[in-house]
Amino acid sequence: MGRIAFAMLLALLGSPAYAVARYVKLPAGTFISALAAPNGGPQRVHVAAFWMRVEPATNGEFLAFVRAHPRWQRGRVLPLFAGPHYLAAWRGPLTLGREVRADGPVTQVSWFAARAFCAGEGARLPTWDEWEYAAAADATRRDARRDPARNAAILAAIQASTGSYPGAIGRHRADVYGVRDLNRLLWEWTDDYAAMFPSADSRNPGTGPSLALCGGSALAFFDRTQYALIMRVAALAALRPSEAAPRVGFRCVRNDGE
Amino acid sequence: MKRRIDLVFGFFLVASLWANISAAAAALPDDSIYRIPALRLVDQDGKAFEFASLSGRPRLVGMFYGSCRMACPVEIESVKRIQAAVRAAGGRPIAAILVSFDPAHDTVPMLRMAAAEHHLRGSEFELARPQQGDYRALGAVLGIAWRPLPGGGFEHNTVIALLDAQGRIVATTDGRGKVPTEFVRAVLAREGMPLP
Amino acid sequence: MKHHSVAAAALTLLFATATAAAGPGSLSAYSASGKSGQALPVIKETLVAPPDVPAAIHRDYPARVVVQLETKEVVKKIASGLNYDFWTFNGTVPGPLIRVREGDTVELHLRNDPSSHMTHNIDLHAVMGPGGGAAATMTPPGQESVFAFKAMRAGIYVYHCATPPVPMHIANGMYGMILVEPPQGLPPVAHEYYVMQGDFYTTTGYKYTGYTTGAHPTPLLAFDLQKMLKEQPTYVLFNGQEGSLIGDHALHAKVGDTVRLFVGDGGPNLTSSFHIIGQIFDDVQVEGGTLVNHNVQTTLIPPGGAVTVELKTLVPGTFLLVDHAITRAFMKGALGQLVVSGEPQPELYHKVSSGPAPADKAGAF
Ligand SMILES: [Cu+2]
Repeated sequence: MGRIAFAMLLALLGSPAYAVARYVKLPAGTFISALAAPNGGPQRVHVAAFWMRVEPATNGEFLAFVRAHPRWQRGRVLPLFAGPHYLAAWRGPLTLGREVRADGPVTQVSWFAARAFCAGEGARLPTWDEWEYAAAADATRRDARRDPARNAAILAAIQASTGSYPGAIGRHRADVYGVRDLNRLLWEWTDDYAAMFPSADSRNPGTGPSLALCGGSALAFFDRTQYALIMRVAALAALRPSEAAPRVGFRCVRNDGE
Repeated sequence: MKRRIDLVFGFFLVASLWANISAAAAALPDDSIYRIPALRLVDQDGKAFEFASLSGRPRLVGMFYGSCRMACPVEIESVKRIQAAVRAAGGRPIAAILVSFDPAHDTVPMLRMAAAEHHLRGSEFELARPQQGDYRALGAVLGIAWRPLPGGGFEHNTVIALLDAQGRIVATTDGRGKVPTEFVRAVLAREGMPLP
Repeated sequence: MKHHSVAAAALTLLFATATAAAGPGSLSAYSASGKSGQALPVIKETLVAPPDVPAAIHRDYPARVVVQLETKEVVKKIASGLNYDFWTFNGTVPGPLIRVREGDTVELHLRNDPSSHMTHNIDLHAVMGPGGGAAATMTPPGQESVFAFKAMRAGIYVYHCATPPVPMHIANGMYGMILVEPPQGLPPVAHEYYVMQGDFYTTTGYKYTGYTTGAHPTPLLAFDLQKMLKEQPTYVLFNGQEGSLIGDHALHAKVGDTVRLFVGDGGPNLTSSFHIIGQIFDDVQVEGGTLVNHNVQTTLIPPGGAVTVELKTLVPGTFLLVDHAITRAFMKGALGQLVVSGEPQPELYHKVSSGPAPADKAGAF
């Protein structure tokens, strides 16, 4: 009884409950990307300090966003920016429905919509480098990628969630920066995801600089054992920016000092 | 004094542009790429304009960056060859614009130099830089993406798109190799020209 | 008329795609050329789950065969009381056998189930073209890709997913087979069955329990990357499940039948030494090609390869299908049954006696 009343109260409160998202600061740093450099070798990447959302954007937050910005509502949004799967799991343009939890991560949002949401909170989507840099961490280390047990646990968690809605946010410990759920929960849009160019048949090894990519090269992995990451890149790279997928959500970042 | 006149003139220019845009935007179809959020550009001649003001006639649109030594010169030459092929087939001249995704380096003087190097006349082939607005969204609707490389420069792909007068994509080419015949045929077909 | 001959020449292979994978460029102005197969009669292929096989083809003319595949990620039994998260074509491991005739144009629709995590695609070894179709079918969840190819060489071929990380997609069960019948068809037989071997890599050892969650009360085994890299599977299975061809699910024949088996190896890593205990293969289409070998005891099937074997079941009994790298059969699950019913054939096989060896004879030496 009390629980129902509390739920109704939450529903009444609506959007203001989600108004403030928490960000934490990640210090500047350098790491070796799992993506290969154009010559196929390791790619050392420097990332400036930035602030990252502790948690991915939720359905409740996105509902508040589309209430405030009707042109991003399902049914109103231009097809140029969001295809037919956009927010398809929601019961209505302004209704989540029972299956879609307000505190669950929002998915089926296009890249355009994710960017607009972030802009709305004075932020932006992370670059791939920023995302990968952050996601290299675990609860105690800034770069835990060499730990086979950690990698296996991530893979197992991704596979174990087959067939259900994305899990709840915050089931696992926050990482060393205080960020949650980067690796296990969702594929997350990055601002420059479309520039990770897989060749049409991605089994082709990176064949060095190509004219089609202006001296860049088709996507290749320097660390071929980072399966969770490879799956992520494969999942994102196949999407057009207007497309939405049930496992693809996002979180925003801010530049340091803004 | 001169500056003041410029400002006043600029105000009218902007005001009239806005009028144009809103009139045009109302008529644009849902899949027109001119419906991306406002994007203000400046071309090699220093002429500033809204991207959406380019609607009204078919056009070739792509993106590039000026310090690119490999694909970008090829892209520019490819656009020129398409224009020449259309002319040779008796078609009306088709205007082209390439927008830089490296505005930090591609200043107006740099654009002017690149245009001179490739003998581009602003009336038919503009090189432009974003002045204000979200140029990554332009790339996204055209299927163009880029990522800075740690060693400098960008990893990016090349797409040249033929837009109809309303801004819908009619055909695209990656601008490599010989003149893309199919693409040129698509340009001519827009005008109801007999196909070569 | 002229158009038709051009079309016929262009039939070599036409990837007219209708998907996401192509950029905005794949618009009407370009794909107009991809209409070649239009004049052919259109047949929608009826697919069935393994070990069954679609009916033999009795056509003497080419058709445009429309095949509908759907990639699905499903939690299913891998062994008694244990589940695994399989990635599949049409929900089964292997995916359904596709059956077409040499000269047919196959219009393959690949849909990816909206609840999938992964992007998937398909590479069919019967295709002569980039990536065997993989380049045209990279399909995110909820989308569909379509491509067409002409089946130009009769044979039995493997298909599989080729999305990175490719070994994982295959290790999770994303393979199947396509049979391209020769123009004159295959000789009729009493039974046709479809079997594929695959190696599976789980964090816990053979028949050891995985972990349970609220959503998965049956223990769910997790994929083990390190074991796959070392090529040390915990399970080696026929048709993706221990017991898939045992007991109620055994293959059946009668005495005197000719049985045709389409046997493939999905891998990702192990070559199968395919053998049926107590049988000799009368005919083996070696490596699925046109070379036919006779009287074969054990035939090799490499990952990404397949054979057609035919045998006459002369004697009743239960015959075991095994990978004769025999640890895999008895310690990792690669075991199936062919049950042959009918009258005993004592002139071919009978037991004479057994018991203690007579002492006097033993002492006579
Ligand atoms: Cu797959």
